[in-house]
Amino acid sequence: MLVKGVGMKVKVNFFLFSVVVMSIISSCVADIDFTQFDEVAATPTYEAGILYLEAPEDVINLVSGTSVFSQNFNFNAFSSDVFASRVIDGTITYVVENTTSKELEITVDFLDEAGTLLDTEVFSIDPQPTAIVQREIAYGASGRSIEIIKSLSTIRVIAENLGDNSSTSSLENPLITLQSSGKFRVELIK
Amino acid sequence: MKRSKLLSLVGFWLCISLHAQNKQLLYDFTEIPQSLIINPGAQTDFKWYAGIPTLSGLSFQAGSSGVSAYDLFAPDGLDINDKIRDRLLNTMTARDELSGTYQIELLNVGFRSSDPSLFYSFGIYNEGDAIGYWLQDYAILAIDGNVDQLNRRFDLGDLKTRGEMMNVFHFGVNKIVDRKLTIGARAKVYSSIFDFNSTRNKGFFVTRPGANNILSSTISADMQWRTSGINAIKEGNREETLGNTIFKRGFFGGNLGLGIDLGLTYKINSQTVFTASVLDLGFIYHSNDVENYTLKGDVTTEGLEVILPDALSNPNRDFWQDLVDEIKEIVPFENNFDSYVAFRPTKLNASLRYNWGEQSLRAANCDCGPNVTRGNRAPKYINGVGGQLYMINRPRGPQTAITAFYIRRIGNVMALKATYTVDKFSFSNIGLGLNLQAGPVNLYFLADNLLGYQNVLDSRYVSFQLGLNIISWGKK
Repeated sequence: MLVKGVGMKVKVNFFLFSVVVMSIISSCVADIDFTQFDEVAATPTYEAGILYLEAPEDVINLVSGTSVFSQNFNFNAFSSDVFASRVIDGTITYVVENTTSKELEITVDFLDEAGTLLDTEVFSIDPQPTAIVQREIAYGASGRSIEIIKSLSTIRVIAENLGDNSSTSSLENPLITLQSSGKFRVELIK
Repeated sequence: MKRSKLLSLVGFWLCISLHAQNKQLLYDFTEIPQSLIINPGAQTDFKWYAGIPTLSGLSFQAGSSGVSAYDLFAPDGLDINDKIRDRLLNTMTARDELSGTYQIELLNVGFRSSDPSLFYSFGIYNEGDAIGYWLQDYAILAIDGNVDQLNRRFDLGDLKTRGEMMNVFHFGVNKIVDRKLTIGARAKVYSSIFDFNSTRNKGFFVTRPGANNILSSTISADMQWRTSGINAIKEGNREETLGNTIFKRGFFGGNLGLGIDLGLTYKINSQTVFTASVLDLGFIYHSNDVENYTLKGDVTTEGLEVILPDALSNPNRDFWQDLVDEIKEIVPFENNFDSYVAFRPTKLNASLRYNWGEQSLRAANCDCGPNVTRGNRAPKYINGVGGQLYMINRPRGPQTAITAFYIRRIGNVMALKATYTVDKFSFSNIGLGLNLQAGPVNLYFLADNLLGYQNVLDSRYVSFQLGLNIISWGKK
């Protein structure tokens, strides 16, 4: 009788053991589709300041003739591989403010590495007090070619005085400023 | 799948496989010799035991407190990018972690001294452990960018991660002080194979309206990434000698450290038992194959700034290169080879157990009183119920788990332990442990979060431990 009881307990133990092991072994892995990873896209948009130019009226008055300033600025941020190979589209915003007493014209040229003109933007701006121009230039599918941005190597800024060389503004610290910023969407994960 | 995406996927899974080392099923499961590893003061009755090398103790745990693989990759017809945005970007926080650990015993032997109150155990195990917190602000920058986020500070401190692989050589002593108290200590020598950590990063990136230009960008960084052994691993991989490199570094050819575990078991009364242990009070001194990287400084830029008449003084000036050089100088990204000390993630375990019921089978069967057993095996109550506390020191502060458990002994051949654990990974973590004793052969299998096994990939936490030992209780 004792032997039979022990035998029954062994069977129960074996049954319990089997249930535990089988329940663990029979754990499930539901369908999962890792190919969805191919569809992952990260296209963040980054923005930052590009160029700030400032010319006081007294400096403009010192220059004889109309050409106040002409300067090429090396600018390789956009043509670097890490950016050029990923940029999709974007916008460059310019804000030109004139608090001098004369009409001025600012030309911003984009040049590639060989010095070829890629793009040009001209701002003619009246004397103070109503002299602020803001312009947004789009690049990409809904604007100018994004290749302009990808090839940009040099920014040329030309400032011309369309007024006189003697008058002075009544405003404090008269000057002309060019502000610019870029906002570009890039393909971070291709 | 393109290579970059494949790498990202591997990175994701590395992160996923990166958890707390809670072994609530094994803790105070004194039928299993490996319980001495997590409480050197556990009450045992073995004469001796020997683990089967590499099979005596194998454990793996992985957990994610935020999202499961199924959450992202279920074939549910939803756009994967929408799921990433909804379930990662908009749901997880910088306190969510992806972590994991594994342990493989290479050698584990224990024997009772001629003084029966003393039990010695020693061995070697290989351990890997890593944790990475969700890179919240980095993820926002990577997915949305900084557009329309004026004045928002992106926290560079969201980068918090550490990981390591090592061999641990240990020797423990377990001492029965009296009928109520058993204490134990285990000395450890760590032989680090590799280590990386970046846990004390500070700083931010912010875009604001500029003082002159339309926008200004500021980065303030005090960041550090420390590594040891990584270059050796890379070189071993390149020269196809990775196995040798890992073996050599794991057997005192890498970086060494010291540690100690302490533990106790105290019988409050004949049926109530309190246990506690502190594990890995120790450190590793990294001086071999160390390479660290730093990014430190504060800089604000509004782009190229051309202010007349100063700008006219040098018509050949390269404004762009000057700007790049200035930023590099103010916020230099540098590397160094300075030695460093890494403290081990210290763990605390404690339990309070109430026992009741008949004594275990053999004692009961012999019909000769509760204190008489076959061999030297101590009688045990067949039922035990109680609570456990677990804490581990992590880069963002201690993590805690509480466990309710029930243990049931079925004769001397089987013991079962069921647990319900609450921690940051899950409120539905039910675990079950099975210890089977067939003569001298001891086999155990412990699995956590059983509800998660309905669909492993939908589980945020997976853990199992198994092992095979030979045990002797000696002859009476």
